[in-house]
Amino acid sequence: MKLRILLADDHEIVRRGLRALLEKHEGWEVCGEASDGREALDKALQLKPDVVIVDIGMPSLNGLDTTRQLLQHDPHFKVIVLTITDSDQVIREALDAGARGFVLKSDAARDLVSAVEALQNKRMFFTPRVNDLVLAGFLEKGHTVSRNEAPKLPTLTAREREITQLLAEGNSSKEVASLLNLSTKTVETHRSNIMRKLSFHSIRDLVVYAIKNNLIQIEIPTGPKAPTGPTAA
Amino acid sequence: MTIRILLVDDHPIVRQGLKTILEGHRDWEVIGEASDGAEAVEKAKVLSPDVMVLDVTMPVMNGLEACRVLRRQAPDLEILFVTQHDSPQMMREALDAGARGYVVKSNAARDLLEAVEAVSQHRVFTALNGRDVAGMH
Repeated sequence: MKLRILLADDHEIVRRGLRALLEKHEGWEVCGEASDGREALDKALQLKPDVVIVDIGMPSLNGLDTTRQLLQHDPHFKVIVLTITDSDQVIREALDAGARGFVLKSDAARDLVSAVEALQNKRMFFTPRVNDLVLAGFLEKGHTVSRNEAPKLPTLTAREREITQLLAEGNSSKEVASLLNLSTKTVETHRSNIMRKLSFHSIRDLVVYAIKNNLIQIEIPTGPKAPTGPTAA
Repeated sequence: MTIRILLVDDHPIVRQGLKTILEGHRDWEVIGEASDGAEAVEKAKVLSPDVMVLDVTMPVMNGLEACRVLRRQAPDLEILFVTQHDSPQMMREALDAGARGYVVKSNAARDLLEAVEAVSQHRVFTALNGRDVAGMH
């Protein structure tokens, strides 16, 4: 029986590349694709893939929250997170969300097949940097926060995180309500709670928070000179 | 006549996706790939492609710089930018650097074939998100 894989990335060009890479492997099949986190959730619940590959930076519902919600529905889902950055925070969040694989997009052509093979064999797959964190005792129970780490911010609920992302993406409360099948009043209540919890006074504060906490990803506008350096796919 | 295409992007997965789309076209051939602007310039010298599909942001040498070099080195080469930069300013920079086409990666699957077709015929093709300016001059 073929290993069934669901791909979730907002760029069709990336999904095509991932599909071409994965379907070269005999015994694997891409059973579906999604272009945002919400669609990924729906398709995963419908198609029940063996492995789900999610891009971290997707609109509507980002990859980390998609991972969390998938695993809340069914802890047997196996998720590989694809990311453009392997910062401490992103690694920490991916591990906390329950991802079993973590692959840098720039290295996907090299690492993704190994990652899927690992998950197929009930193992985990992470980039070397993540392994360093593991060795440093990050995953030990009761691990201490490093001195350089910022004080912990108040925790938002899963619903609050969803609403924060949608508001930061520019949706009105009414639009958020429509997307989440909630009443506008409920969304407004959540919005007030979020602003109060985080001591924010404006939507701008919310947007900055969403960017810093990887709920949304943005391009940095460039001037006449294009940047030289690592990129998003 | 076969259109010979060189793909330039620092992400192998993106190059694979582009190749999958382009090689579906009977008369087109992806003759090589490069992962930064400097490699693109070198490979263009060796392979003499008709069209280069070029990313903007890359290590070593970015796409705009590569485009300017290639404009002098290979005046017959047509350059199509496929980039994440959904920016009219960046698009203007790209066209000023000598490119003939500019499409945004998020719509590449939709626009790529038409864009390559246009630039291979020396027509301009540009398309940004939400303000499609598919100008074919």
